[in-house]
Amino acid sequence: MRNKKVHITIIAIFIAIISVSLYYILKEPINLGLLKEPINLSLLKESINLGLDLKGGTQIILKPTERGGTGEITPEKLNLTMDRIRDRIDRLGVSEPLVTKDHLKNIVVQLPGVKDPDTAKEIIGKTAQLEFRLVTGTFISQKDDNWSIVGLDYEKGELLIDPDAKKTILIDDINKFFQGKSVLTVGNLITDPETNELVLVAPQNQADSEENKEGENADSAGSNFSAEEILGVVKYDSETMQMFIEKDGEEVGEILVDSRTGAATLAEPALLTGDKLAKAAAGYDTYGEIRVTLSFKDEGVEIFKEITSENIGRNLAIVLDEEIKSAPYIKVPITDGSAEITGIDSIEEAKNIELVLQTGALPISLQIEESSTVGPTLGMDSLNKGLYAGIIGFILIIVFMLFYYKGLGIYSALGLIIYIIIFWGIISGIGAALTLPGIAGIILTIGMAVDANVIIFERIKEEIIKSKSPRIAIGYGFKNALRTIVDSNVTTLITAAALYRFGTGPIKGFAVTLSLGVVISMIVSLLFTRSIIFLMSGISRINTPGFLGVRRRSSE
Amino acid sequence: MIIGGIASYFIQGGFNLGIDFLGGSLMEVEFTRDVDVTEVRSVMNDIGFRNAILQRTESNKFIIRTTPINTEVKNEILDSLDEKIGTTGTLLQDRNVDPGFGKQITKYAFIAVGIGIVGILIYIWIRFEFRFGAAAILALVHDVLVTLGVYAILNREINTSTIAAILTIIGYSINDTIVVFDRIRENTPMTRKLGYIKVVNDSINVTLPRSINTSLTTLIPIILLLILGTAALKDFALALTVGIVTGTYSSIFIASPIVVAWNNRFPKYKK
Repeated sequence: MRNKKVHITIIAIFIAIISVSLYYILKEPINLGLLKEPINLSLLKESINLGLDLKGGTQIILKPTERGGTGEITPEKLNLTMDRIRDRIDRLGVSEPLVTKDHLKNIVVQLPGVKDPDTAKEIIGKTAQLEFRLVTGTFISQKDDNWSIVGLDYEKGELLIDPDAKKTILIDDINKFFQGKSVLTVGNLITDPETNELVLVAPQNQADSEENKEGENADSAGSNFSAEEILGVVKYDSETMQMFIEKDGEEVGEILVDSRTGAATLAEPALLTGDKLAKAAAGYDTYGEIRVTLSFKDEGVEIFKEITSENIGRNLAIVLDEEIKSAPYIKVPITDGSAEITGIDSIEEAKNIELVLQTGALPISLQIEESSTVGPTLGMDSLNKGLYAGIIGFILIIVFMLFYYKGLGIYSALGLIIYIIIFWGIISGIGAALTLPGIAGIILTIGMAVDANVIIFERIKEEIIKSKSPRIAIGYGFKNALRTIVDSNVTTLITAAALYRFGTGPIKGFAVTLSLGVVISMIVSLLFTRSIIFLMSGISRINTPGFLGVRRRSSE
Repeated sequence: MIIGGIASYFIQGGFNLGIDFLGGSLMEVEFTRDVDVTEVRSVMNDIGFRNAILQRTESNKFIIRTTPINTEVKNEILDSLDEKIGTTGTLLQDRNVDPGFGKQITKYAFIAVGIGIVGILIYIWIRFEFRFGAAAILALVHDVLVTLGVYAILNREINTSTIAAILTIIGYSINDTIVVFDRIRENTPMTRKLGYIKVVNDSINVTLPRSINTSLTTLIPIILLLILGTAALKDFALALTVGIVTGTYSSIFIASPIVVAWNNRFPKYKK
């Protein structure tokens, strides 16, 4: 009699759990008024949070790097970076963005239903490090020598020489290449014969450089070499991918690429940076040229005034993310603290620059590791097909169980329905996103949920064949099956845990649904199914071996 | 099967690894009319993408995989396809993976599989005996090899979903093996009377209906997914179908004989 009470309590608890699950499943569809319509798939779709691969959207994974000299990557910087990215996304007008960190410390940005993923990618990953630097000079080719440095491939550590010839040179080989060539308006790059380092020396007069070109060997270049003329040593940092000129261990300039001409340019260290910026606005100037006007905070106005009054006659480069955007000539001191970036290709690009400058520079440089966009139609297609497969599979399993286990099959059908309701309720209750692999996980667990029933029923049948009465057989059946079910499910949980810990995005979703499924199915079959079978076994009429799926002859 | 898989592995020069591992760009294009692969191929060849991998997902839809390309090059490809065949203009999917990131994914896939296997071995060791754990792992290695073999023979793409599927197979196959082992463990006290071989044999026989029924109920929805699902779901379902079938038979024909052979070699129980 006490047993009976326990079973009734268990069933009552399950009914409560089912009610809560149903509440969560139906909450959203009721709000949307879907229940008034005939039952359809949209009821299922609205009740859960769909992952990007199902509802369509863009996911971008960004890896923090030390590129561009943003320095060490700290948790604080990472958090500030994520805040600024969120701010940028808000300004793009994307609803419900998700910015998270993964276990590799990458930043994962999820944008549902974004119209223009390419622009989003462009804006989100941009460091937007704005700097004002005085220009020392440009690396140019000589008239009769048909080459020029046109860029730096930081990735490969190469200097790009003349884009048409597609000629490149490894930074390590620069020494050899520049031997005896006069290359700079500011000076020449020569190998120091003593230290074997590439050094920048002061410009020579025309006659000297002509002579060097004739000679074209290390000795002649070396003969012109004197220590007083050294402006600095060329240093390349492969970590930050920057190329500096250093003198006495201090940076005196950096080689940057001019985005308008593509020419490599030597610029002094930054005098003013974007953090002193008050406002940026994209627009056109009176000549109809695209520009972004910048205005500084009070502190910035002062510094800008100082720079422009002390350096009249020089060019001030406006550098955005290690690229010279424009380098206007300073005619008169600028006292109102306004500047403008010109040389922009399109108004869209100007607006992007405005947006990234307004939200502030990212304290960490980011590199796009993976980006993926799924259109809404493909995602919905997957979801619908997955759901159909699940529903048909569910019906076929129940038919199979009824056919094979007769009366016991009814219990497993009931158990399976309860399993699905609780599973769906938890997914919608905790707001976990359902991904494509997640659907596969659910469908797989529907099949596996029956496993516990199969093990129990087979045990019960065995006990009946051993001529035990159905009631006792049920008791033994559950007892014997318990250990098997626990052992076999724990191993599945171990693999799910490994998947969760080391998987990326969608795979994690799969691991979650798989482990949820295993745990719920275990609880349903070991508690609910057990209680209901015990209670029903009290009714002797339905409790025959035939009902339990054992044919007479097998009990001989 | 394993030999066949290894043979095709070498014939085809390795697995058909997806961009998840190798890095690269993938886009799914919808055309305004039905097209066949030669048509798309010729357009791709014209613009210099001879190595692009083309996969037809529906009569008018194609997945195009290339080496990593930037937005401009991508737009060039799309413009050419639109001009020569005609596209609906929107991409069904568009993915770009940095090769370095792919390497990282591969590394973590191996770590996940490795940790999963070690975790299972330790659990079985605690709950059963070490020999059971070792036999289960061998059966498991067999299942994974067969599944990978099928992928090599069919030259199907291996992506992160496949790795998830393989890990699931590991879990499932172990699950199946444990049900058999559990019976052997339960019946071991009868060894004195019947001998170990008979005990193992009987244990397999009584668990046989369960093994078959569970495999069937699991296979029903998976096979439906294989028939009804979209390309990505089909990939996943294929690995699972192969894995579940081999997982069931390996518990009976590989894991159990190993346990018996182990006992013959290092007798702990009466043969």
